Parts: sequence; structure tokens; C-alpha cells
Amino acid sequence: MMLPMANFPPSDGSTEPHELRDDSGRPGSAAEQSDLELVRRVQRGERGAFDLLVLRYQHKVVKLVARLLRDPAEAEDVAQEAFVKAYRAIGSFRGDSAFYTWLYRIAVNTARNTMASRQRRPLDYEAELSESEQSVVESRMRHGDTPEAAALTEEIHRTVNGAIEALPEDLRTAIVLREVEGLSYEEIAEAMDCPVGTVRSRIFRAREAIDRSLKPLLD
Amino acid sequence: MTDQIREQMSALLDGELARDEVSLLVRRMSRDAELKRAFGSYVTAGESLRTPGGLLASAGFAARVSAAIDAEAGATAAPMAEPPAEVRVAHRWRRPMAAAAVAASAALAAVLLVRPDGTSPNVFAARSGAPTVAPVLALPVGGASPTPAANQRLAGYLMAHGQYASPIGRRNVWSNALAADPGIARVTYESAEAR
Repeated sequence: MMLPMANFPPSDGSTEPHELRDDSGRPGSAAEQSDLELVRRVQRGERGAFDLLVLRYQHKVVKLVARLLRDPAEAEDVAQEAFVKAYRAIGSFRGDSAFYTWLYRIAVNTARNTMASRQRRPLDYEAELSESEQSVVESRMRHGDTPEAAALTEEIHRTVNGAIEALPEDLRTAIVLREVEGLSYEEIAEAMDCPVGTVRSRIFRAREAIDRSLKPLLD
Repeated sequence: MTDQIREQMSALLDGELARDEVSLLVRRMSRDAELKRAFGSYVTAGESLRTPGGLLASAGFAARVSAAIDAEAGATAAPMAEPPAEVRVAHRWRRPMAAAAVAASAALAAVLLVRPDGTSPNVFAARSGAPTVAPVLALPVGGASPTPAANQRLAGYLMAHGQYASPIGRRNVWSNALAADPGIARVTYESAEAR
């Protein structure tokens, strides 16, 4: 069953109005164009391009599915199924909507099918969660998996925060404006009064510094 | 060189990489496990920054998805984009049109070869004074009228191919079959012309 496109719960756990957003936090951005470019490459037979789309949306899809299922232990299996379905169907993706919208729709339908097959009442994806419900679900997400996995997730968050704190101010500002505020390179350049190329370099160096801290955890 | 590639990868993640640089980078990343790992690390860091303490996919998740896709039959052949609508329309019509063409050809041959009055088709041309038609269409048919065996063959043909023939072709062949029935009064083309 097809679902309306604009009523998904926000995958970041917020209770803001349900406008779909991409990694940049702004709809219709350059990141969306970048997705489309990757999709076209998958359609032309570049299998590796799909891996990049999976890497890009893995956290968002797992988080979305976990909220719908109310069972974080199952979330990765169902999210995996959603990605496989997306790969199978990507030949029919024409770019009428953003790739993440299309992907989220597949994920929601896959989660709903899973719930239906197990005769459980799915979470109404159009309904807002109350703050207390949200807190319970988020808590179960964090702790519903194995203790090792939960500990690793906590460790990743701590490591990223620590790496950010240790960054020089110009790198920290650039990465926060990009990742948290969702500004484009041009907007960051204006805010920091520096060339776009410098912004690109600062963001890259910030990411490299964080990666050096994260690598031992993710390997 | 590696730093330059990784910086491009960072820009790709932000949608800030020039389109003409994407192709080469994607090819490199497809072949290089370390680049893919780093790309995943960049994404994880960004997600952690946006939702501190939120759920994250496990470290091996993307690799498991990739393996699941590879394990599927036909994973080696990537799903290609659907052809444009006009191509799909052409494909949709091609098969029935070909079938109709074959059926029409067979129907024409049946009309020419199994004439109700038993005359050869080139008689028309000879009587009208026009040049004789090409021999390929003027095959003589022996016998003054269709034999029961010939009628049976024609009926078999109609049963087997009628569903593929166009309505016009079907009507012509059935007309011939009816005309060939001795029990039905028939008016030949020649007699009608003579009136």
C-alpha cells in the first residue's frame, strides 16, 4: 500500500512538523542533487554507488524503522530489507521525488508489512509521540539492543563529542555550521568571512580528525 | 593524492562536489574499502552531532546490506533504469503487431491458395487483360472445389491462428470458408462482375 509522502515521523526524533529533510537539513538542496547523481549511476550499472547511498542513509532509516516497530532489536533487519527492496526497485526511480523521500516510503511500507505479518498494531506513523512516549521509545532504542551494541553507540557519541571539543575553533565552527545547522558551503563562507574553498578544506579536516578518533571503534 | 580524494568525498557527502568529479570519485570509492569506511565514518559523525545520544546503525550494517544485495540472484546485473515511455510503448505493441502481420500473411495465402471456385488466382489477371501476377502468389490449386480434407485443414488453421488475426483478416477467411461450403449458394467474383 502506498503511503502519503509528507507525513512520516521525523527520523531525528524531533516533534517538529513533518517536513522531509535531507542531511543538510534543507529540502531541495545540493545534497539532494548529489543523491540523484548517485541514483543515476546505480541505474547505469555502478553497483558501488548504491553502497554510498546505504552509508549515507543507514542511520536515518534504522532510526525511522525502530520508531515504527517500537522494537529496536528488529530495526536493522527490517531496515536491511528496505534497502534491498530499494535496490531492486531503483530502476523505476525517476526522480519525481527526492531519493530520501522514496527510500523512506519503502522503509515505512516494509515496517508496516512486518508489523502486519506479526499481527501487532503498528505505531500510527502520522501521529505525534508525546514527549514521555518519545523518551521511552528513544530509551528502548538505545538500550533494546545487546548491551555491547548499546555501549558502542554510547562510546561513539562520546568520542565524536570529544573530537569536536578538541578541534581548533575554525574547524569546529565550520563542521557545526554544516552538520548541525545545515548551511551550504557558500553560507558558511559568508558566516565565517572566508573563501568557499577554505570552508571545504576546514570541514574535511574536521571530519578527518573525528575519523581518526572513531576508526578504532568502527573497525 | 589521498587527501585530495578524501576531501572530494567530504564535498560529495555535502552535495558540494562538481558533477564532473562525481563519476571518477564514485568509481574509486567502489573499489576502495578504506574510502568507503571513511565515508561511513563521516556520515556517522554527522549523525551523532545532529542527534546526540540517538540510535545509530551498527558498524557492520552497511556491509551486511551490501552482502545481502550481492547474495540475491542477479545482483551482478544492476537494475537498469526503465526505458523511456515511448520505447515501452513500442515494445508493448511490437509483439501483437508481429503476430497480426504473420496471421494476416497466412490469411492472404489461404485466400489465394484455397479459392472457392477452384480457379487459379492468376485467372483474374488473365481475364482482365492485366499482366500476370508474380508466380509466388499464383500457385495453382488442383481440383474444381475444395475437398473435405482441404476444408478440414482450413478449419484447423482457423482454430489455431484465428486469435492472432485481425478482425478483417478473420472475416475474410471465414467468408472463404463459408463460400467453400457446397451447401451455401455462392456468387463468385467473376459472376458478380459479369452482371
